[in-house]
Amino acid sequence: MSDKILIKNGLILDPAKNSELKTDIRIAGGEIVEWGTELVQTGEENVIDASGCWISAGFIDIHTHMRDLGQKDKEDIHTGTKAAAAGGFTTVVTMANTDPVIDNGMTLSMYLQKISERAVIEVLPVAAVTKGLAGQELTNMVDLSEMGAIAFSDDGKPIQNMTVLRRALEYARLTGKTIISHAEDLDLSEGGSMHECALSTELGLQGISYTSETVAVARELEMVRLTQAPYHFTHISCASSLDLIRRAKVEGLSVTGDVTPHHLALTVDEVAEYNTNAKMNPPLRTGRDRSELINAIKDGTITAIATDHAPHTKLEKSRPFTEAPFGITGLETAFSVVYQALVLEKHISILELIKLLTIGPARILDLPVPSLSAGSPANLCIIDPRIQWTYDTSHGYSKSTNSPWDQKKLTGRVVCTIYKGQIVYRSEAITAH
Amino acid sequence: MSEHPALVASMSNRARELQKLSGTGVESWKKRRHLLDTKDISAAELETVVTAATICKEMIAGGEGPQPLLTTRTIANLFYENSTRTRSSFELAAKRLGATVINLDIGTSSVAKGETIVDTGRTLAAMAVDAFVQRHNCSGSAMQIARELGDRVHVINAGDGWNGHPTQALLDYFTMHEIRGSLKGAKVAIVGDITHSRVARSNIWLLTAMGADVHIAGPPTLVPPELSSFGVTVHNKLEPAIEGADFIMVLRLQLERQKQGLIPSIGEYRRVYRMDHARLKLAAENAKVMHPGPMNRDLEITHALADDPEKSLVLTQVGNGVAVRMAVLYLLLNKN
Repeated sequence: MSDKILIKNGLILDPAKNSELKTDIRIAGGEIVEWGTELVQTGEENVIDASGCWISAGFIDIHTHMRDLGQKDKEDIHTGTKAAAAGGFTTVVTMANTDPVIDNGMTLSMYLQKISERAVIEVLPVAAVTKGLAGQELTNMVDLSEMGAIAFSDDGKPIQNMTVLRRALEYARLTGKTIISHAEDLDLSEGGSMHECALSTELGLQGISYTSETVAVARELEMVRLTQAPYHFTHISCASSLDLIRRAKVEGLSVTGDVTPHHLALTVDEVAEYNTNAKMNPPLRTGRDRSELINAIKDGTITAIATDHAPHTKLEKSRPFTEAPFGITGLETAFSVVYQALVLEKHISILELIKLLTIGPARILDLPVPSLSAGSPANLCIIDPRIQWTYDTSHGYSKSTNSPWDQKKLTGRVVCTIYKGQIVYRSEAITAH
Repeated sequence: MSEHPALVASMSNRARELQKLSGTGVESWKKRRHLLDTKDISAAELETVVTAATICKEMIAGGEGPQPLLTTRTIANLFYENSTRTRSSFELAAKRLGATVINLDIGTSSVAKGETIVDTGRTLAAMAVDAFVQRHNCSGSAMQIARELGDRVHVINAGDGWNGHPTQALLDYFTMHEIRGSLKGAKVAIVGDITHSRVARSNIWLLTAMGADVHIAGPPTLVPPELSSFGVTVHNKLEPAIEGADFIMVLRLQLERQKQGLIPSIGEYRRVYRMDHARLKLAAENAKVMHPGPMNRDLEITHALADDPEKSLVLTQVGNGVAVRMAVLYLLLNKN
């Protein structure tokens, strides 16, 4: 296939310039070479007709689990990045809680090797903060950073010992790499499998109260204040945590936060029939929390949407609710879900949404700011906002099917994704000739 | 009870009476596929259970052997969690109706072996078992099986985690109904560890729906305050809950609650929450004490009160359990 592509008649969404511009884009040599109206097809160019579609810089997901190395029954870097591409992502940041954990140079280099062999888009690995995610001994953060770790996190588990976190934050000033927090107090959440509320009482399930997250956010913020290191809270789920992060930002601490599509779109009610595809950690909260997460996006407390794509096998998710693992997939549905929950419900504009999927996450981890101007890498996606579709996990790209949106109707869909000038995903809905 | 159903010569008059039951409640049971909890049981269905269980109780009292009422039906008692009492009760009930019964005491280790409850269920369904009576330590497991295999088998929840134990609530209702008739306006106190109790939940849904005035009491660590949003009055002190009560249901205190740090000491619990004759004086004049069993004698209830034939319904509950389960099995599985 030719590496030259001409995208005709799309509407370019550029949140950096706050502009929407109808124009054609020419791609060659992996880069965007030219913009213009009425660009003419040259001989060997693939032409994509993007009439009625939007064009955005490729999305960046700063929280995914690709399950490679040792849990390939759930996902691997190939299937995971294919799923990401189908969701419009051209960069994914993967967490370190793999098997084995990415907590040493050898494992990281093995993982980087897998990425170079299997990834269809950019994969940026996070390395663990502590050895074995045990929360005790720091990993060789400088070594790992120099080898290519993009950030550090024990995600999946919190760092419970504040002295350990303090040292990690002090080292983060040395590496310049952000630490990503999975804020949870394990004593408070122990045994819980859903949000603590009237429904958990009714269903006879042990709840996880707000406090397990908010207590952790509060004490971690004290460590950030002490060390002045950059710190990022991922998958914030409740109003009480947002209040603390909001105040910390006002104070000037280098703190950021992201939320997941599921916390923005769903509430604890999804659990009602013991739906294991509504079981994740942190759990789905109340309608009020959902509104507060949306408000936090509007006021800039939250600057990114991250999927926490967490594939698990059918066998694991067919266990009884309390025994099924936490986590859902999210890459393939992320855009449609948040488009519906935020834009179609008129909370924010499409440009603001695109920002949360591109510039927002890039700034959090200090990645190059995505751009569609001439000379930029051709990382982009084409979105058709008119498409009504039904997500069917059996025809998805992820190896796993643990999505609460399986068989659900969604509006707006990524129809084509281009990474470094190559088409890495194209749906049948868009014609090319 | 050992005769094969086919050898049973003829049907007793009471069995025929059971067959002749009619009305909206009977029709509603015929349409029903599962008994997962008490939440969706209508007043008509409940009334039918009471009528049918009354007949079944007479069949037992009359010394009748197995009746050919469910001879074509095969019931599997699937107990992933041990329970001699409930399992025996279901087994006797099924046998008295002439059904074929198999007992599977699986234990929770099957999950570790890689077989899920759905796999186990599917295997039995493939052997043409008609109904599962399932006990499992996870809340929601009965609903899960009904969702996955409900088109092939009838599911009767014999206890799922902390969630539900509908036949216990039905037999409790039947027992109270025998004494008082309608429970509308009756004060029923449920005391002890509410949080971890499926018996409490199933009773709460049923009793509130039938107009009883339900009060719960227990240590703050074992009583979820959210239950007030379901129409029950929540107390932490025992006395206001049992004051003027017509029935007091005492729940078993699992000794592990102390190890989990949910109660400071067994001794203190005994002093503050144990039901005894002195405390019973706070209740209504003819108040009765109930317990789903097995009891920790002298922990949540005194020996003397548990065995007081005037005040305690404990053994009545056990006996009624077989009759009520016969009624449920018959109403659910007889689709003629």
